[in-house]
Amino acid sequence: MSRADVSRAEVPRAAAPPVPAGRGRGTASGYLALFRNELRLVFRRLRTRVLLGILALLPVLIGVVVKLNTDSPHDGRGPSFIAQTTQNGVFLIFTALAVALPVFLPMTVGVVAGDAVAGESAAGTLRYLLVAPAGRTRLLAAKFTAGLVFCLAGTVVVTLSALAAGAVLFPLGDVTLISGDTIGLVDALPRAALVAAVVALSLSGLVAIGLFVSTLTGSGIAAMAATVGLVITVQILDGFPQLDAIRPFLFPHYWMSFGDLLRAPMYWDNILKDLGLQAAYVAVFGSAAWARFTSRDISA
Amino acid sequence: MTNDTAVAADAESGGVPYRSRRRMLVRAGVPIAVAAAIATGIGLVPALAADSPPDLPSLTAEQVVAKALGSDAQSLSGTVSVATDLGLPTALLGAAGGLGAASGHGGGSSASADPQAKLLDLLGGDRTVRVAVDGPDRQRVELLEDSAGYTVVHNGDQAWAWESATNSAEHFTGQPGRPGEHGEHGGLPKAPAAPLAGAPTTPQEAAQQFLSASAGSTTVSVAGTARVAGHDAYQLSVKPTQSGSTLGEVRIAVAADNGVPLAVVVKTTGGSTVLDVHFTEVSFAKPDAKTFDFTAPKGAKVTEHAAGAEPKGAAKGDGAKGAEAKGDGAKGAGAEGHGSEVNRPQVIGEGWTAVVTTKLPGGAEAPQGEGKGKHQAKPFNPQTLAKSLGKPVDGGTLISTKVVNVLLTDDGRVFAGAVTLPVLQHAAGVN
Repeated sequence: MSRADVSRAEVPRAAAPPVPAGRGRGTASGYLALFRNELRLVFRRLRTRVLLGILALLPVLIGVVVKLNTDSPHDGRGPSFIAQTTQNGVFLIFTALAVALPVFLPMTVGVVAGDAVAGESAAGTLRYLLVAPAGRTRLLAAKFTAGLVFCLAGTVVVTLSALAAGAVLFPLGDVTLISGDTIGLVDALPRAALVAAVVALSLSGLVAIGLFVSTLTGSGIAAMAATVGLVITVQILDGFPQLDAIRPFLFPHYWMSFGDLLRAPMYWDNILKDLGLQAAYVAVFGSAAWARFTSRDISA
Repeated sequence: MTNDTAVAADAESGGVPYRSRRRMLVRAGVPIAVAAAIATGIGLVPALAADSPPDLPSLTAEQVVAKALGSDAQSLSGTVSVATDLGLPTALLGAAGGLGAASGHGGGSSASADPQAKLLDLLGGDRTVRVAVDGPDRQRVELLEDSAGYTVVHNGDQAWAWESATNSAEHFTGQPGRPGEHGEHGGLPKAPAAPLAGAPTTPQEAAQQFLSASAGSTTVSVAGTARVAGHDAYQLSVKPTQSGSTLGEVRIAVAADNGVPLAVVVKTTGGSTVLDVHFTEVSFAKPDAKTFDFTAPKGAKVTEHAAGAEPKGAAKGDGAKGAEAKGDGAKGAGAEGHGSEVNRPQVIGEGWTAVVTTKLPGGAEAPQGEGKGKHQAKPFNPQTLAKSLGKPVDGGTLISTKVVNVLLTDDGRVFAGAVTLPVLQHAAGVN
């Protein structure tokens, strides 16, 4: 993170209106001001925009590759939903999400969440932040919410870019679900939105983990690397059938369950398990981040 | 920042710059407490959900069996969990799957929604299946795979099998049965897993298979009650009276109100569970009629299966034709197809200790992988494969799993069954 970058982002924070002293209102409006500043800090950063740009390019890349290979036979190998993509551009959304979810999305989320506290600490802006009478709990909550918004933004970027690329490269029309039923395009797009929402929520546990890691260190790079490394490690562990006993409790275990929304009727069991698991991770690592952040000495 | 009012009001967020160690420890306790609470919740919820067995009027075994066989429930829909743990060597499963695919449609290069390859799929691991039944003429079975689906729909004289991963469908017309059943009968006679290739996909099928196949050699008793998918059920315990079987007990949960089998659990004599099929959710209401409507999805590759054709012959013919057409080393697969027609498997003995026997096709050349399809990458020679998997015993090679034991004699005969080695050796006339 460059200093110029940060100081630019810090200007609006410093200019935020002072928080009124009243407890209830002050808490809410103070939080909102913090949250807005946090959002600005995340999304104004060049790094964030580059990451979102990469996420936008990914579906286009997949679409072009699939388009070029439309005629070659496929026998069920390759990324999920790839067989349907050639028939219908809408499925490029699901293929792109299936490709992005294991690696790209967690990587970007790890970068943003991991940097949230540690980056400020490294740049020396954290103590100035804490001078503002907002309180550490609220600051942490604002950073967590901003992280969630980034998850949603990343997912939406992939979805919209895939939809656009799919519409250009492939025919749009009735969508064949993976249970073999056919639904109209009008019914398919809300499903795509639902899928995007589920994917974004699937990343919430990772935001909490990244935030916790971020409170442990004063180096932004270390926090980002640790978070992304953790994602990769856990996914590798999730691949071992020998670890069956613990696999259902690993946070990426149910990530790909969003495909169950593309059945008729939708099959919710695994998605609910996924969301419950994410809630548990948010509770544990969120409280761990809180415990660490509110009791540590901020010297930088 | 210490004397700021907001911070003072929001004391827990800690405005004090220097904290005692004690406070840090207290705070660190919070996430640990949260984690402990969640872990307790995860541990407790199933324990609380598994309520005590329901009180039902006691019935004799005959009454429960009659209830099951006489069940007039015509329609149901629900979700079935199928867990199999046969202890098969994974290499064997892979080879069997490859063989199935090869004899089914001449090599892995032609993707299709072949029901018979899917049945083998059920042999490994945990699967979730959604079923809907409306009388004998209309059924729908949907195998929920990771980000993919496999659906079999039977409606009157039409039957469809659809596989999303390959975007392909098979269309059967004029056949009253379900394609899945044809898959079972026309299954893989020589694949060591053949006796279990018809892994039942619904508790009904499973229970009825066991109940009808086991008269005479079996003791049936009622082992209490249970709750399955929210329904009260009697637990029927079925045990072999003959010795020599590897199967120890089959437990069937029969719904108390309408006699529909809701769960089947198969245990070996060693006590480990090899098959657990049960409804996780079931409704006996008539399924929506459009559940059974199926039309080929736009753009899907559809394979038509003509009316009246004997399904087994059709499948084999396909295999031979495919092998010729490809001419790419799938000759072995073609030979397999012919060989199995010559050496029809025979059954020795009956009941629990039945042994299936057949002869290995002579000179079944391994299709040397030419990189054409993943299934041909591995050369398939039954003898070599068996030797590498099995262990030498008197009279041949034994491939042993939790349930099925397979004996390959040195002169190329195969004996398979859910029986112990001495029974196989006796059937083979080794001692």
